[in-house]
Amino acid sequence: MNQNEAIPFIQEKAAAMRRDCIEMGYSAGNHGAHFGPALSCIEVVASLFFGVMNHNPQVPSMANRDRFVLSKGHACLAYYAALVEAGYFAREVMYTFKHDNSYLSGHPICHPEYGLEVASGSLGNGFAVACGMAMAGKVKKESHNVYCILGDGECDEGLVWEAAMNAAKNELDNLIAVVDRNSFQLAGKTHEIMNLNLEAIWKAFGWDVQMVADGNDVQSVLTALNEMKNSKSGRPHVIIAKTLKGKGVSFMENNLAWHAAPLSKINYEQAVTELDAQQVGGQSNA
Amino acid sequence: MHDISLETLSNWSKLGHRTAIGETLFLLGKENSKVYVATADLTPTARLTHFLDAFPDRFFDVGIAEQNLIDFTAGMAKEGLLTFAVGLAAFIPMRCAEQMRINMGYMNLNVKAIGIEAGVRFGPLGNTHFAMDDIAVARTIPNMTVLAPSDPLSIYKAVYAAANHSGPVYIRLTGAPGFPILYPDDFEFVIGRAIEYKKGRDIAIISTGSVLAAAIGAADLLEAQGISVRVIDMHTIKPLDTAILDRVFAENRLILTVEEHSNIGGLGSAVAEYKAGIDQTPRQIICGLGDSFKKVGSYDFQMQASGLTAVELANVAMANLR
Repeated sequence: MNQNEAIPFIQEKAAAMRRDCIEMGYSAGNHGAHFGPALSCIEVVASLFFGVMNHNPQVPSMANRDRFVLSKGHACLAYYAALVEAGYFAREVMYTFKHDNSYLSGHPICHPEYGLEVASGSLGNGFAVACGMAMAGKVKKESHNVYCILGDGECDEGLVWEAAMNAAKNELDNLIAVVDRNSFQLAGKTHEIMNLNLEAIWKAFGWDVQMVADGNDVQSVLTALNEMKNSKSGRPHVIIAKTLKGKGVSFMENNLAWHAAPLSKINYEQAVTELDAQQVGGQSNA
Repeated sequence: MHDISLETLSNWSKLGHRTAIGETLFLLGKENSKVYVATADLTPTARLTHFLDAFPDRFFDVGIAEQNLIDFTAGMAKEGLLTFAVGLAAFIPMRCAEQMRINMGYMNLNVKAIGIEAGVRFGPLGNTHFAMDDIAVARTIPNMTVLAPSDPLSIYKAVYAAANHSGPVYIRLTGAPGFPILYPDDFEFVIGRAIEYKKGRDIAIISTGSVLAAAIGAADLLEAQGISVRVIDMHTIKPLDTAILDRVFAENRLILTVEEHSNIGGLGSAVAEYKAGIDQTPRQIICGLGDSFKKVGSYDFQMQASGLTAVELANVAMANLR
């Protein structure tokens, strides 16, 4: 599939994933869910799973698969939605999100059969492990890449920078990180809590940096990912993708209250109505 | 079986546990091309130069960054590599406790973390460089195996046992230059199976780490006064050898647990936790570093101040034997 063919396919998957996020989050009832940070990174996750990564849901531990680590583990709805749409587990499983004994906890567990590569959610940790995985790929002379999504708030964590400097030192150009720059973190706007010039900092740490002005535009995301995927610059890569927190559901967009919250029946119905109206070709995947 | 000569052991004894660990990792790396070593700026300190020179492609220095040391090696372990992460016990596991909990515990990744200079050997450097709590931190993490070998050969054996064990291991190392050879002959080191170093009826001294030498010394002093002392090398703190403890509870009248670690959360606690559920067991005296920060002073000063000498341990035993 060339990029022009891939774009509508990924857009369709992204729309379905957004709908899945709402279904999962609603099924968690009063436990609520991290809607905002999941919806912001949907296009990035969809582009990876349905346009960039080599993977096979029938053989989840395929040796030459590209590795995916969702370091911002609280956005697990986006991850689970991609795994459902790709066929890693049955749609019914999706509705067990946060239920007793479910594999789908509020932050991902390590469960390779479900395509869940690394337990994440303790911020900084998934990214640092992804760097080690990329190192192993180099050591073993394997050709796959390691993809990792971080939150912009997550970049406050010291461990991110311990790992970033070590990745650059070891020339891990098989590592492609994406910072989901939705400009919010738990307690407020990122520029108010810790105003980081992410582009300058990542560059200073020796990374190839690419800015994507609209991280919710599949074409922009896909172009950036494909460029970095094929680059053998000797430097690790990071895409800083400017996204919209809560993208796709009007009352969640740029609204910190929806960083994590339970979804009422009324809000659920409104979200579903809005998303169904946005579906590519008017088709619903629900 | 091993091919370590007595001369080599004497050399390691003379130079201390750093040499023992550095040389052991070199020997392991020579035998097993799948062994990788990473450190946090401790290449000369942990005597890893030999490994680095021989296997530069299997050696990583992440800089002064213990959290990343654990995560980086965890990522490699996730991809099937056998990785040893070497740092100061003052910082491993305390600085990277959460990374150990998630990656080694929760994900059960095959990382072998080694903390050198555990306890109070860095006496003159002050409390920032002591590790009086590392057993406590490590053993509360599910899936974690915790080892504390006592002498040069047992360090070698512990590292090889860890390499052959599938799952996360924390190895705490003590033993200053001049720490004695306690195992001059080959012996079997099995994770989770304590060694009955000496048989005895009255008192059981259960020790972990290089302070075993003081425990043996105490036993000798007590034996000279007609008291029969059993000495146990509890080189594995987790999983605890409860079978040997059952025998101690049935056969001995007093237990001393001995460790170069806080009295809270270490070997003494582990034994007491098990003992709590069993009727009519002997009294246990926990002999450790107490629950306090220390004054600055030499290693001998520290051990003396905490009563971790043969004479002091024998005195405690005498005072409590009824």
